[in-house]
Amino acid sequence: MCKPDMAPVYPQASSYPHLADLIRSERAQVDRRIFWDEEVYKAEQQQIFARAWLFVAHESQIPDPGDFIRTTMGEDDVIVVRQRDRSVQAFLNACPHRGNRVCMVDAGKKARGFICNYHGWSFGIDGALRGTDGKVYDTDAHFEKAQINLTPVAQIESYRGWIFATFDPDAPPLTEFFGPFTFYLDAFLDNDEGGTEFIGGATRNLVDCNWKFPAENFVGDILHAFWTHQAGAAAILGGGVDLGPHYAERAFQASVFGHGIETNLDKVGNTRTLGYPELVQYVFDRYPAMVERLGETRARMVGAIGSCTIFPNLSFLPGQNTVRVWHPRGPHQIELVSWTVVNRAMPEHIKELYRKGVMMTFSPGGVFEMDDGENWEYATRTNRGFVTRHQPLHYALGLGTEAPEKGLPGHVCRGSLNDANQRQFYRRWSEFMRHDNWGDLQAAETAPPQHQEAAE
Amino acid sequence: MMERICDLAAVPDGEILRVELSGYRPLAATLLDGRVYVFPDTCPHAAESLSKGWVEDGRVVCGVHFAEFGLADDEVVNRPVGCPDLVKFPVELKDGAVYADLSKAEAA
Repeated sequence: MCKPDMAPVYPQASSYPHLADLIRSERAQVDRRIFWDEEVYKAEQQQIFARAWLFVAHESQIPDPGDFIRTTMGEDDVIVVRQRDRSVQAFLNACPHRGNRVCMVDAGKKARGFICNYHGWSFGIDGALRGTDGKVYDTDAHFEKAQINLTPVAQIESYRGWIFATFDPDAPPLTEFFGPFTFYLDAFLDNDEGGTEFIGGATRNLVDCNWKFPAENFVGDILHAFWTHQAGAAAILGGGVDLGPHYAERAFQASVFGHGIETNLDKVGNTRTLGYPELVQYVFDRYPAMVERLGETRARMVGAIGSCTIFPNLSFLPGQNTVRVWHPRGPHQIELVSWTVVNRAMPEHIKELYRKGVMMTFSPGGVFEMDDGENWEYATRTNRGFVTRHQPLHYALGLGTEAPEKGLPGHVCRGSLNDANQRQFYRRWSEFMRHDNWGDLQAAETAPPQHQEAAE
Repeated sequence: MMERICDLAAVPDGEILRVELSGYRPLAATLLDGRVYVFPDTCPHAAESLSKGWVEDGRVVCGVHFAEFGLADDEVVNRPVGCPDLVKFPVELKDGAVYADLSKAEAA
C-alpha cells in the first residue's frame, strides 16, 4: 500500500555561473539585468533566500509562549512562535494537506495553535498536527497523524535577541554566517546592559523597486545623502547634510561575507537627524560608559552617521534606530517592513523620542524614506528598456582605498564615501549564484582576509 | 444508576483526568472551585479526547479546534458549526470517591 512521506523538503542549491558573471568585479561594474530579469529573480530565491540566514523576528516581539509573528523568508510565508519551553520555532504558514495558509493575522499573543480554514486541520504551536475535522480521518485506519507537521525551517538561532532562520540544513551556524562582522554588530546590539528591543509595532509598505537597491544603499551608500536628502535634512536640521570634513580621516567602510557597515565615527550625526537635542545629549552622556564597554572606535559608531546591511536583506541605521527588511516581491517590488529599535535600559521618555524621531524620518511618511523610495523605483524601472538594461552600472568610487587596520575585522576601506561595500555586497551575491555548497561560499573572496584570523 | 468513577483524590484541580469504565465510552473528570465535574472524554464536536485539552476560565478547552465548554454552565465559546453542548453527569461524593449518574452516558 502506498504511504505519504511528509518529511520536510529543503530545496538544493545549484550553480549559475552565467548569472554570477553578471557581476564584473574586475571592472567594478554591475549588469543591470540583475535588477530586472525573472530568471535572475528565480535563481535568487533558490540560491540566496532558500539558503542564507534571514532575520525573522526580535525576541522582544514574542516574549511569552504562544506569542507569534508572521513574516516572510524570501517569498515564503513563515510563522515564528515562542514555544512552551521558551525556545522559538518557525514554520511555513501553509497546511500540508492542501497548502492553504493556517495563520491569517500579522501577529498575536498566546496562540493555542493554528487551524486551517479549509478542512479544519489543527496544528499546535509546536507545529504538530493535533487533529483534523475530527470525523473522517479518525475512522481511517491508515491515517498517520504523527507524521504530519507544519514544515519547520531547517535551522533557527538567536544572536543577542535577534532571531534568524534558514531553510538550509547545511548552513553553518549563525555566528559563522556573520563571521567577525559580529564585532560591528555588537556596537548596536550590545552597547548597553540588557541589549535591544523593538517598540511601537511595525510599519509596512510596498516600493516598486528591486530588493538589492535598498540593500546596497544601506550597505555602503552614504554618498547619496549629500544630494538626495539635502532638503529633508534642511527641514529637520536647519541646514544641509554635512558629513564633517574633520571626520573624513576617521570614516571607513568594512565588509565581511557581503555584510557591510559604513560609519563616520562622529558619535551623533545620525541621532541628530531625528530632531531631538535631548537624544543627542543622551548619546553624549552615555559615551564614557560605551567606551568602557566597546572601546573608543565602536563607541563613536553608536550614534554616528552610518548604515549597515546584513546580507541579503536586513538593514539598520545606527543612531537613527530604524531596522528594516527588504522583502522581495518579484524582481520589481519589495515589501518594506520596519521597526524602531531601542536599548531595553533606556529611560521610557528617551525610547519614545526615538520612536517619534523614526516615524518622522524613516517611515512611509518620513522625510528621508520618501526621498529614497522614488530613486530606487526609477533605478529599477528604467531597466524595462531592453537597450538600457544592457548598459553596465558604475561601482568604481574608492578603488584602491583598502586600508587594513589593526582591530578592525573584514575588508576595510578608508572613507565612507566609497563604493567598496557595495562592490563586496555584489561580490557576495555573485558567490551565492556560483557556489552550490557552503564550503566554497565561506572560503570565497568576501571571506575575512586570512591574516586577520591568524592575528585574532 | 450511580457508578463509581474514581477516588476523589485522583481528580486533578484545573486539569482533566481520563477515566475508562467498562461498558462506557471514555469519561473525564476535573475539579474546579472545589466542585467535581464528570463528562464524556470525547469532544461533542468530533473524536478528540478532551483530557488532551485543558481547563481555562472555568471552561474545558478542546485542544484541536479550541471549542470551550462551560463547566458550571452550558455556555460554549468557539463552537464549531453543529457542535452540541457538553453533557455533565450528576455527581455525588461518597467515602472519598466520586460517583456519577451515567444513565445518559454513551455505552461503549
